[in-house]
Amino acid sequence: MCHKIRHPRYWLILPFKMAGLEIISDQGYRIDGRRSSELRKVCARMGVFTQADGSAYIEQGNTKALATVYGPHEVRKGRGKIQHDRAVVNCQFSMATFSTGERKSRPKGDRRSQEMSMHLRQTFEAVIVTELFPRSQIDIYVQILQADGGNYCACVNAATLAVIDAGIPMKDYVCACTAGFIQDSPLLDISYVEESAGAPFLTVAMMPKSEQIVLLEMNSRLHADNMEKVLDLATQGCKDVFAVLDRHVRDHVSESHALMTAS
Amino acid sequence: MAAPRVCVPGERLFSTADCEAGPGTYVHHGYIYSCLAGYMHKRKQDGKELPIIEVIRQKEDAVPRKDSIVTAKVTSVSGRMCKCAITCVERTTLREPFRGLIRKEDVRATEKDRVEMYKCFRPGDIVLARVVSFLDKKVQVSLLTGFLDAACQLSLGDANCYLLSTAENELGVVLALSEAGAQMVPVSWCDMQCPKTGSKESRKVAKVQLQQE
Repeated sequence: MCHKIRHPRYWLILPFKMAGLEIISDQGYRIDGRRSSELRKVCARMGVFTQADGSAYIEQGNTKALATVYGPHEVRKGRGKIQHDRAVVNCQFSMATFSTGERKSRPKGDRRSQEMSMHLRQTFEAVIVTELFPRSQIDIYVQILQADGGNYCACVNAATLAVIDAGIPMKDYVCACTAGFIQDSPLLDISYVEESAGAPFLTVAMMPKSEQIVLLEMNSRLHADNMEKVLDLATQGCKDVFAVLDRHVRDHVSESHALMTAS
Repeated sequence: MAAPRVCVPGERLFSTADCEAGPGTYVHHGYIYSCLAGYMHKRKQDGKELPIIEVIRQKEDAVPRKDSIVTAKVTSVSGRMCKCAITCVERTTLREPFRGLIRKEDVRATEKDRVEMYKCFRPGDIVLARVVSFLDKKVQVSLLTGFLDAACQLSLGDANCYLLSTAENELGVVLALSEAGAQMVPVSWCDMQCPKTGSKESRKVAKVQLQQE
């Protein structure tokens, strides 16, 4: 009867083991060839649309997200939301129908998207200096073009760049990163395959300079002893993301300044 | 002059003991931080010891505030009020217009009860006005219940707009087109003349003063 007291995760890892797919190889490499504390390659571009007030595109490995920001403008939908001392932040998360392996029937409006929109709103209400624009509204629209794990993180990072591009005052950047705990070791920036292995993982959104956590989400149970290790790794991941984003923002600022002075 | 420094949101710039926080910055625990991505400028203030720190970028945002001077375009005029679209706040142009409303009693400071809206504004006029307050739906209902006419009832549908006032000499119509389509020149505080046809039209004219630089 020994199979009854097997570790619950055993059943989830089993199919991968049988298929010869190990999350971490004996040499310490992951399926996509990263080490456990390495991020996927981050590519970003700011100001991809002209008609939006701010926009950005980000690629984190195979996860691709597009963010656009409009505002601050007059409160249009739902005038009841109007705040007399600050701006309202309105977020909409959507996933392109072609973003996942199996075609999605609804790009937005399902439960997961609504939850994601709510998390994004909470994140950005915490960092945008909304008191400067009373009785107005700031819209943030994010779309996932390709989903390969860490969708929320890609959205937050893209939206940060878009908000900066729009010139909306923020207290700090927000950077997001995931970290999981698979085969007894913490892993940074979980991909889709690693996510679906069923192991616990943390999603952290933080302000990298002040090291304040804006959002923390955990999807299943993790032993308290391991929590600290995983959280530390995710924090480090956020700072690594920040370093990349910061470089892009600085380049963008000096580039657009050069364009302005040249014209 | 040294090349201006590029700032990003959340970057610590100076201590509040050395400088004062200007636009594009915020103060947290005694330090000035940038809240925009742009260039940092240090400006000397007249009569003050500390220089002011600001972060500048090309695009600027603003919302109408109480007592700020706004530029608005008249969209519709009724017997009780005049609706307009606020396009500028002080010196910054808005990306999208905000709704504004000038009530009959806010058009001028004297002889308020003799005001005739049609003789003060016409649709398409450019008006300088001061923001009095923000009109909420609830407030608007109580304000207007005394004198509800058809136009007021219509406007209740799209409540939430800024209440504007032109009850100052410097405020009122600054640009207006005549019936012939020419830009009119002000001849008195209540008249404007068309240079093409010579006909006079009445407006609440603003006395525009040139700013001495």
